Amino acid sequence: MTSCGNPAAEIDALMTRRPKFDHSKECVKCKGRVGNIVIRHVVYCRECFLPLVNTKFRKILQPSIKEKLDGPRQKSLKASGNLTMGLSGGLGSTVLMDLVAKNYFRSSGPEDNKGGKDHPRKLNEKVWKAGYVCYVEVSDAFPGMRDSTADIRAIVESYNVFEFVPLKLEDAFDPSWWDRVDLLLCDIPSSNFSTPLDRLRAYLSAMPTQTALLSSVQALIRLLLLYSARSTQSSHLLLGTSLTSLSINLISGIAQGGGFAVREEVDEEWHTGTEMTIRVIRPLRDLTMKECTAWAWWNHLTVVGETPIPSAKQGIGSLTKDFIVGLETDYPSTVSTIARTCSKLAPKDKATGVCALCQRPTQFRAQQWKSQISILSYSNSKESTDRISLAPSLCYACHTSLTGRNSRSVNRSVKSHDDITSDVPIPLPVWVQSHASMQSNSRGSGTSLIDDASTDIMKVRKMNREEMKEQIGSYLLDDDL
Amino acid sequence: MASSVSLKIEFGGGLELLFANQSSHKLTLPKFVPISNSTSLSSLSSSNLKDTDTESATSDDAAIPDGLKRVDVTYLLHHLRDHLLKERPELFMDKETVRPGILVLINDTDWELEGEGEYELKSGDELVFISTLHGG
Ligand SMILES: [Zn+2]
Ligand SMILES: [Zn+2]
Repeated sequence: MTSCGNPAAEIDALMTRRPKFDHSKECVKCKGRVGNIVIRHVVYCRECFLPLVNTKFRKILQPSIKEKLDGPRQKSLKASGNLTMGLSGGLGSTVLMDLVAKNYFRSSGPEDNKGGKDHPRKLNEKVWKAGYVCYVEVSDAFPGMRDSTADIRAIVESYNVFEFVPLKLEDAFDPSWWDRVDLLLCDIPSSNFSTPLDRLRAYLSAMPTQTALLSSVQALIRLLLLYSARSTQSSHLLLGTSLTSLSINLISGIAQGGGFAVREEVDEEWHTGTEMTIRVIRPLRDLTMKECTAWAWWNHLTVVGETPIPSAKQGIGSLTKDFIVGLETDYPSTVSTIARTCSKLAPKDKATGVCALCQRPTQFRAQQWKSQISILSYSNSKESTDRISLAPSLCYACHTSLTGRNSRSVNRSVKSHDDITSDVPIPLPVWVQSHASMQSNSRGSGTSLIDDASTDIMKVRKMNREEMKEQIGSYLLDDDL
Repeated sequence: MASSVSLKIEFGGGLELLFANQSSHKLTLPKFVPISNSTSLSSLSSSNLKDTDTESATSDDAAIPDGLKRVDVTYLLHHLRDHLLKERPELFMDKETVRPGILVLINDTDWELEGEGEYELKSGDELVFISTLHGG
């Protein structure tokens, strides 16, 4: 830490602090009322601020619906499927659910009559036929966490327009959940020697670092939401990512090797394997946390709050969060610059596939590189010498995450279970197994594939230095260069 | 009455968890408080002793006793931290101000429009502290 210095202090020294607001305390919109809130140096009164939040929300979401409507029915603004929202209980997703309810699921919401100017629509015709709200409970995986499902359910049901879909993190390891959501009818053999929760804990405790543990929880939640959106025939999956949390995700994503998928943090399309494509939209990505907070407060929303995962303090994510939130307080314009800059980034190479674990695009070179240094491998329990490597199917970020240099286990933060050492097979989420067995089917026979109950197994093995050098030798520069 | 200021304080966005899970608080502070923001009882009583002026006289700068200032939001923050906060002060205060990510409203208006910590409190003021750190 000392060698890197204190970023906050260094910025203080370099940048002069602007006053918190420009000009006067008068609202810039109506120019009559005294302002109530400062957003990026601009003053608004409460009456002008609230519709502005609504406008910013619609401006992101609306084009994603229109795009699907090229054709004769363009004016009806009808999405091609249902709507699924991810609700964490946190501020962003609570505000998201409120905005969606008021804009698209109620004929008499407070914003309904005002919104008619730009987007004429019939009040009784819904853009989405049905709205689902998914909540993923993570408490079983960590000691001392409380199950918030009941609180969340009460808030969702208070709107009277959404269907609540409660999930658990361990569903990612549950073949019976997969049976319910999977439309591809891909057979996943169920392991009868452990419960989904056992497998989840084993998987999490195998993560080499705190950062990897927390990102893998996020990745599991993201995939549970995607597959749930598919099972509800949704054309849109909405996430409550604010501008502030987007900037945090972008910076910490890049820091963890996720640069290739940086665009997917902003806007992604998920090809489900069926003819359906799910648009993942973050309609709050132009709203700062401050704007979300004020919306929630002035609309009397109940924010249950996300319970922090114990010992999450050390992760890259939470360090980035402290930095960005501090930055937003002192230099509010800088945070939107981060998001805008990242949205201009484009990967140099075309995506060549989809990561088996996070299902984001993978890049050609990473795959080639990783196929050379196969560290992760599937093992077939019948012929353990014959392995198929999972590494080429992983994106750089997942690969990096799973094979962190620091191989210290993070068992301590995971509820007690049989001690897992690096030689013991690690269970994988159900979609990874499905990915592997699909690949095996398409390749035909010949390679050793996964064909029995123990196929949900991956080996993480530490290579010795000689072995490693042999594998990467051709990439190393000569000492005298 | 003239020597004190009564306030209504509200916590939201999960911040109430730090304050015994009570979101609404009524509070009375002395009109003059130490410039050092020390909230120990001895400094409070000394300010009460010296402040014998009436409400109208307090607008006169000359009436402020040595080492004291009119009670402001910065002092209130110290008072809340020292006397009402039950756990984890680092989640509420950072140096002499609120932790980044906490929205402060004074009478329903962003405290950034009211001078932040320097805002001088008057009787009947309502202050709201809302944590924004609850993620997506
Ligand atoms: Zn206005
Ligand atoms: Zn990946």
